[in-house]
Amino acid sequence: MRKLSRSRRGITPVLSSLLLTVIAVAGMSIAITATYVITDGLHDNMGERFIVEDVWFTGDNNDTISLYLRNVGKVSIKVDAVYVNRIDQLATPLELEHGKHDELNVTYDWIADSAYEIKVVTRRGTQVVDYYMSPP
Amino acid sequence: MWTITCRRLKRDRRGISNIIVVALSLVIMLAIVSNVVLWNYEMNQLDWEKMRENVIITNVERETEPQFTFQNSGGLTVHLVSLWVINSTDHKQYDISVFINSAETKTYEDNILLPAGNYTVKVVTERGNTAVYSGS
Repeated sequence: MRKLSRSRRGITPVLSSLLLTVIAVAGMSIAITATYVITDGLHDNMGERFIVEDVWFTGDNNDTISLYLRNVGKVSIKVDAVYVNRIDQLATPLELEHGKHDELNVTYDWIADSAYEIKVVTRRGTQVVDYYMSPP
Repeated sequence: MWTITCRRLKRDRRGISNIIVVALSLVIMLAIVSNVVLWNYEMNQLDWEKMRENVIITNVERETEPQFTFQNSGGLTVHLVSLWVINSTDHKQYDISVFINSAETKTYEDNILLPAGNYTVKVVTERGNTAVYSGS
């Protein structure tokens, strides 16, 4: 200890090595976190699967379309948008866990005996689109 | 040859850090790629299984408790998770859990109300396929 306090030679290399180690560890941590975030995002994108079990045209004034969705994928989904005849519609937000099913109501003035193209889009961009006939 | 290379490396350490950086980068890249490829393989397997699934509703009997006969003509065991009874004025969903082995026909009975007149029965499998039956 006395020797160290007398001669300060060699301190700089130790400090620089220490600093380099800290920088290297920080760099690796950032790289590993980025890896985790990238793969997690890709996982979720690839693992999304859902189906529209049934569509029911309803409402007292023919103004509601009920969509019954089921999550058949490996991750939970969030329905972000519903398009009826390619026009974005107001819909109650819906989150579906893996294996669960639920109802999604869309406010839309529909006409009897007509075909509607309904597209459901999730937050990650997965979409299911099909044609459905309204009752006569 | 190996000892000569080791001696040279001991004498001249220039370029070692580059090798370490490349090796670590390769490890990270390998982690990302293998993770994505494995997950993609799993999801492809899921889609492939879904395509191989083939279930049909062969008969619906109006007994005291309606009897639904399902036939699995696909190569995989099917898990039915949802049953819909739909007519022109109403639709109702029932959560069911019926497993049907490959090439097996199974009758399912439950306290399900069949509407008078024309109706449609729809079953949904866990993998996301549907089978439909129209009766009266």
